[in-house]
Amino acid sequence: MKGKIKLALAQISSKRENKKANLQKIEECTVKAKEQAADLVIFPELSLTGYVVKDQIYELAETIPGPSTKKIEAIAKKTGVHIIFGMPELSGKTKATIFNTAVLVGPKGVIGKYRKRYLPTHSVFEEKRYFRPGDQTAAFTTPLGNIGLCICYDLFFPEVCRLTRLKGAQLIVAISASPAIRKSFFEVLTAARALENTAFLAYVNLAGVEEGLQFGGGSRLVSPTGDVLAKAKYDEEDFVTCEVDYSDMRPAETFIPTLRDLRPELFDELKEQLENL
Amino acid sequence: MKSAPSVLELDWSETEKRIRRFIKQYVENSGADGIVLGLSGGVDSSTTAALSSLAIGGDRVLGLILPEKETYNPKDIADAKLVAEKFGLKTQSCDITPTLEGFYKTIPAFDPADKLFKGNIKARTRMVYLYYYANKLNRIVCGSSDKSETMMGYFTKWGDVAADISPIMDLYKTQVRKLAVHLGIPAELAAKPSTPALWPNQLAETELGVKYETLDLILYGLERFMTTEEIAQQLNIKNALVKKVKSIWLSAEHKRRMPLTAKLEYRTVGADFRLPHDNY
Repeated sequence: MKGKIKLALAQISSKRENKKANLQKIEECTVKAKEQAADLVIFPELSLTGYVVKDQIYELAETIPGPSTKKIEAIAKKTGVHIIFGMPELSGKTKATIFNTAVLVGPKGVIGKYRKRYLPTHSVFEEKRYFRPGDQTAAFTTPLGNIGLCICYDLFFPEVCRLTRLKGAQLIVAISASPAIRKSFFEVLTAARALENTAFLAYVNLAGVEEGLQFGGGSRLVSPTGDVLAKAKYDEEDFVTCEVDYSDMRPAETFIPTLRDLRPELFDELKEQLENL
Repeated sequence: MKSAPSVLELDWSETEKRIRRFIKQYVENSGADGIVLGLSGGVDSSTTAALSSLAIGGDRVLGLILPEKETYNPKDIADAKLVAEKFGLKTQSCDITPTLEGFYKTIPAFDPADKLFKGNIKARTRMVYLYYYANKLNRIVCGSSDKSETMMGYFTKWGDVAADISPIMDLYKTQVRKLAVHLGIPAELAAKPSTPALWPNQLAETELGVKYETLDLILYGLERFMTTEEIAQQLNIKNALVKKVKSIWLSAEHKRRMPLTAKLEYRTVGADFRLPHDNY
């Protein structure tokens, strides 16, 4: 495993319902990432299809493996760069059960996937209408370190990132499609999730406007002590490279020993209180 | 939850940037050659014209000045032209009086005493002119309805609210006035009393029965699910006024939506046919 890795935060805007154009953009960004010696390039939530696709999701969703992951695998193989991107994933066992999924692909193929657990269904969001929530924590051992995955609204629930950390994640990757009017929330949340887990956290948000909804960009890499190490522009497309140095984790963990001090008995109480809300 | 004038303050540079991007991207994605909008000389249409011009360039924005004899006001026309000149957009004046008189003469049931119904003909006629030019020039119609009027249903159904996009519809009237000043629209024009110009001396605040400064704070509270009691208490006004505003707001939803139909089939327009907007 590498002690240091280079990330590319590919803060793109997707062309809605146009997987071909988006795959083309993913390929171009991955080639750019390779040129800049990045090991891993990260794309936003649902970057394969765009976020506001409503009922068209049934036409756009694909299984994993499927045509789009095959294409991404080919890009990863050609460039030698690992890729994380978002797509609507059709269950292989049903015809219309879809997950909002983050996929981690390496040069040898799909390494793993994460199905979003917390589906926002409030304000402008209607994810529970279309998606089934995921049930599994994603933390994958790769040549680039142990990578945990989460998606956007999951960041509001500390347990999701915590579980990836407890499963060994050193780098938590949060892909997102978060509106600009909520950007201050994500600035706080990304710093908090990194700090409380003393892990690196890479947040890559969508840019551009879909049906009047401005996605806020502001992608970033946060250190295990909550410092912003790299940051992309707000609102617009951007491409930022940055370095993760895993040797920073030990001093962070000794200085802020949250994992040592974690109290499991509180989780029982939490469960009990929630069941009686 | 606080409801005081300060809650309506926004970062006006950021607001300008966001609306300009919205307009630019919509026009680009739609494949249209530009924008047509109605220029009344009021703050809403002036602000929308300024934003449109800043977004895509004044040479791609046409402001239609649509006077008619009953509400003819040279000051409004001068203001419309002033804004057009300042932001570099083209204008076209069309006197709609003969068209209106055609309606008055040919509708057998027409009664001039029905002031509102007659006024609605004016608003819908303006819409016809706007869409004619939009079709002719391969452009989109840009509306200038604000959030106060839209929430209150203070517009003519399929009339002044009819448009392809409405870039300032998420801003209350008092916010539009501030954005207008930020954009460089003269303060006097920005503060001008609003009128839909459906009949002579018609004033929005008189008809709404409340000053925009108060109305906007009431609507702000309703938007955020505050109770009428909480809003009345915070603003030190009577709960009856807040309740009246709430009632008008709720009763006007039919003006803001596609027409309802009886649910008969698998997916239904306006109900569960949830499709992405064509280009945007």
